[in-house]
Order: sequence, then C-alpha cells, then structure tokens
Amino acid sequence: MTLKSTSRKNAIHVMLFYSGGCNGCDIEVVNALLSPRYDLEQYGILLTWNPREADVLIVSGVVTWQMVEPLKKIYSLIPEPKAVLAVGACAVNGNVYKNLVGDIGENKEIWAPVETVIPVDVKVPGCAPRPEDIIAGAVKGLPKLMGAP
Amino acid sequence: MTSAMDQKSTQNKDAEKVIEKELSFGPVHPALIEPYRIRLFVNDEIVEDCEININMAYRGIEKLFDGLPVEKALLIAERVCGICSHVHAWNAVRVIEGGLGIHVPERADYIRVLTHEFQRITSHLIFFGHAFEVVGHETFAMRSFLLRESFMDLLQYLGGNRVMPSVPIIGGIRPRADLTEALKKVILERCDQFEVKYADYVRRAVEDPVVMSRLEGIGFMTKDEAIKWHATGPTGRASGWDYDLRKTMKEYKPFDFNVIVLPEGDTKARVVARALEVLECLKIIRQAVKNLPEGPVANRDWTAKEMKYTEAYDETYRGELMHSYSLDQQGLVRNYKIRTPTITNLAAMEQACIGDHVTEAILTIASCDPCLTCCTRAELVDNQTKRSRFMTEYEIVNKYGWRR
Repeated sequence: MTLKSTSRKNAIHVMLFYSGGCNGCDIEVVNALLSPRYDLEQYGILLTWNPREADVLIVSGVVTWQMVEPLKKIYSLIPEPKAVLAVGACAVNGNVYKNLVGDIGENKEIWAPVETVIPVDVKVPGCAPRPEDIIAGAVKGLPKLMGAP
Repeated sequence: MTSAMDQKSTQNKDAEKVIEKELSFGPVHPALIEPYRIRLFVNDEIVEDCEININMAYRGIEKLFDGLPVEKALLIAERVCGICSHVHAWNAVRVIEGGLGIHVPERADYIRVLTHEFQRITSHLIFFGHAFEVVGHETFAMRSFLLRESFMDLLQYLGGNRVMPSVPIIGGIRPRADLTEALKKVILERCDQFEVKYADYVRRAVEDPVVMSRLEGIGFMTKDEAIKWHATGPTGRASGWDYDLRKTMKEYKPFDFNVIVLPEGDTKARVVARALEVLECLKIIRQAVKNLPEGPVANRDWTAKEMKYTEAYDETYRGELMHSYSLDQQGLVRNYKIRTPTITNLAAMEQACIGDHVTEAILTIASCDPCLTCCTRAELVDNQTKRSRFMTEYEIVNKYGWRR
C-alpha cells in the first residue's frame, strides 16, 4: 500500500448528485452518511458538495434532460481516481418511469439508466435502497480508489 | 421627427433600467439538496425579486399514467414523491373510490390515517434537519434525523419498506399492512419514548437564543399575503390562516385534534408550527391504535368502469394536494392531473424572501418546506421579460381552480 492510498483511506469524500428522482433515495443516502444511527462519518467517509474534493460520486434518480449536462460536467470535475455509485432502481434501470412492466414503452423525458451518461462502477438496487445497502455499495467502490497508484 | 422620437424612447428606457444584480444558485449547489434553480435579484444585498425555476426534475409523470389499468397507475402515483409517498397513493385511491362509490371498511380508513400521520412526523423531522442545516446548526439536524429513525422503523414494520410502504389499495389496504396486537404495542411504546425525546429536542431548539435569533423576524408573510399567494399547509397556518382540510375529511371525523395556527408569520413561526403539529400527530396515532375497529381490511367487490373526471383533495404535510383523473370505457386511466402543495406555496416562497437580506433568502425558502421534485409539471415563460415563472396566482386559478 502506497503512502497515497494509506492517507486517502482516512478521508473518502462522497458527493451526492441528485438527478431528478422522487427524493426518496436522496434522503436515504444523506441518512446513511449523516444520521447518527448509520453514521458513515465514523469511518472517515465524509459528505461534500465540492466536486474537486470528492472521490466517490453517488448518483440517485432518473437522469432528466435538464440534468444530463450538469451530470457530465460534475463527473469531469472530479479528480482521478474516482468511483461512481448508481443508487436506487431509477439510477440502475429507470424503475417505473422508464418502462413499468412493459406497459408504458419509452419515456422520452428521462435518460435513465445513469450508465448511458457516465460510467458506473457499483449499482445499488432497491426502491428505495436501505441505508445498509448503500453503505455496502460504498464499501464495494473503495478498492478502485485504494488500488490506484 | 422619427429620430427625435427614437432618442426620446431610448432615454426613457435608460431611466427605467434598474441597477440590479443577479445571484443564481443551482441546479447543483450545497444549499439546495434538490435540483432547482434560484435567481435572486439583489440591490445592495437586499433581495428585490426572487425567481425559483424548478423544471430540472421534469419526468413527464402525468403522461405515464395515460392508458394504464388503474391498479398499475397506483404504483406510479406512490413514486411521485419520496417524502410523502403514502399520501399520493392514498389520494389516487380516493379519486376512484369517490367516483365509483366504492365502500371502504372502517378499519382500513384508520390504518390509512395512521400511516399518514407516521409520514407526517418523518416529513416534519426532515424539515427540521434541512432547516437547521441551512442555519448551520448541525447538532440539531443530526438529532432530528435520529428521532426520525424510530418512525421509519414503524413504517417498515407496517408496510415492509422504509420509504414506500404501499399501504393503500383500491377499496382498502394491503393485508400485509394490517395491524397486529404486537405491532399495536410497539407503536404505543415508540410514541411514548419519542414524545419524551422530542419534547426535549424542541425545548432545546426553541429556547436556544443563537438559533432563534437567526430565525426570528425574517421572511414575513401576513395573513392577507398568505391568502393572496396561496400558501397552504403549515406555511399558511403560521401566518394566522386557520385552514386545515383534515377538519373537513370524513376519514378524520372520529379523531380529536387541534389545528396549529400561529399569528406571527415569520420564519420562526413556520418552524414552531411544524414542531407543534408533530405533537398533534402523536395524539391521532394514539387514538387510531386504541380505537381501531375490528373487521375486514379490504373490499374487493368492485370493477373498473367508465368514470367521469373526479377530484380528491387531501391535507399533506406541506399543504393541499389534488389528484384527479377519469376512466374510459375499458377502465383505463385518462387525463391524470396532480397539483402538489409546493406548487401553490411556490409563489408565497418567492414573495416571502423579498425585502430581506440575501443571506436569509435560502433560509426563508427552506422554512416553507419545498419539495420541488414532485411538483414539476409545466412552465410558463413571459415573452416580454424572458423570465420563466412556474405558476403565478392567476394561472393557477385559471387552470386548476382555486378552492373546491
């Protein structure tokens, strides 16, 4: 383990990007990171709103047309190495908005899944995912950050 | 002659030109958790005009309902909003129950009200978390998130999911969400534990001079303004407007509770009104659990048939919610229309922060409890000023009608 990755281990910064879902996953992510019950901060994982500072980008929600450009821009602003988590069924496959059990067909208003816009490393399914799942997903994304030279 | 007139008109234009600076936030910004855009037009750090642009989260949700069987439409209706998911599902069900005259068992109504009040508590605690984070007091924000967990657990025990409990179905509730004796005991215990902790939390928050000096005396909205700009829910009630739809709903008839009305109309009043409302929710929950009638939980004896355009109104955690749709000959959903409370509160938010210092604008908007993702439906652009306003009061009245 290099000096860089050792020091990085103690300060993982997570940025939440909310691309227009229903608020449910968004609050669960903040809950998992901040609330005293789940409290990811005790492991040195901090929530930030500055893309230049972030290591992990958590994307929740369907990607609406208006949010495609901001998402690409914020992804490009995050320095390497970076990991992207798609949290929630909307970000993973579009959930009911994209194609509800084959009934609706294409919804032209949204760009879900997130994969079509930026590369995704970890997918956390669920509507809404439990905070435990989000924590497990965040842990799964860590090797990519740690293994980097 | 013409050149002279031109000169005159340009001079007039210069005179009319107001020196204004624009401060814009969003759509991704630390102060805004949801994707929306605020434009503040400031003159010497005093807000002169405010514009909230919320079309970032447009998902075309009303279009999705078109042509779906009504049971499947409920799946989407619950996912309109992640904070008030139960009330969207409940109100979507109430439309068809009212339109086709489907009988709902009394026990089902009690459990729907119970879930409604659970979510009201969790929603108000999110509000405290957000408001105190904007103030900069993180301890109170975290404590409110901790208090909220006990009710998130109850929602999970009841429906199986923390965020989307999916309790109502047409004609009753899901049998999974029926209350057992064990769960009744847990709910009453949790309520007692919560009340002690919550009373301590609110006392600490309201008596803290540092926090309250930040909230007091900003974002004023008088009663007349609240009525004029269509503030509903706790936002309107904190300005002294005594209006609560729960008092008129037949589901709430068996319950005894007070409507919290505060006359002050500033940001502190809006926080305190919600703080006191949580205690009324606990009252309703205790009554619902203690007086729960026996009987079936769902009435399956109905068929979807042609229905005229029907509306249903409900008092959500932020104000008044309307769902309306019609059914065609095959029983498919047509012409779905949703009006969420934030749509009507939006104009009030914009007005409340005019005249204050620019640092207080975000706090004033946060104190009106915006939930902007669920209210994005359409946008109007004024051709003359090139400013997009979501809905002014006249458009809302002309399009959807004001009150029932």
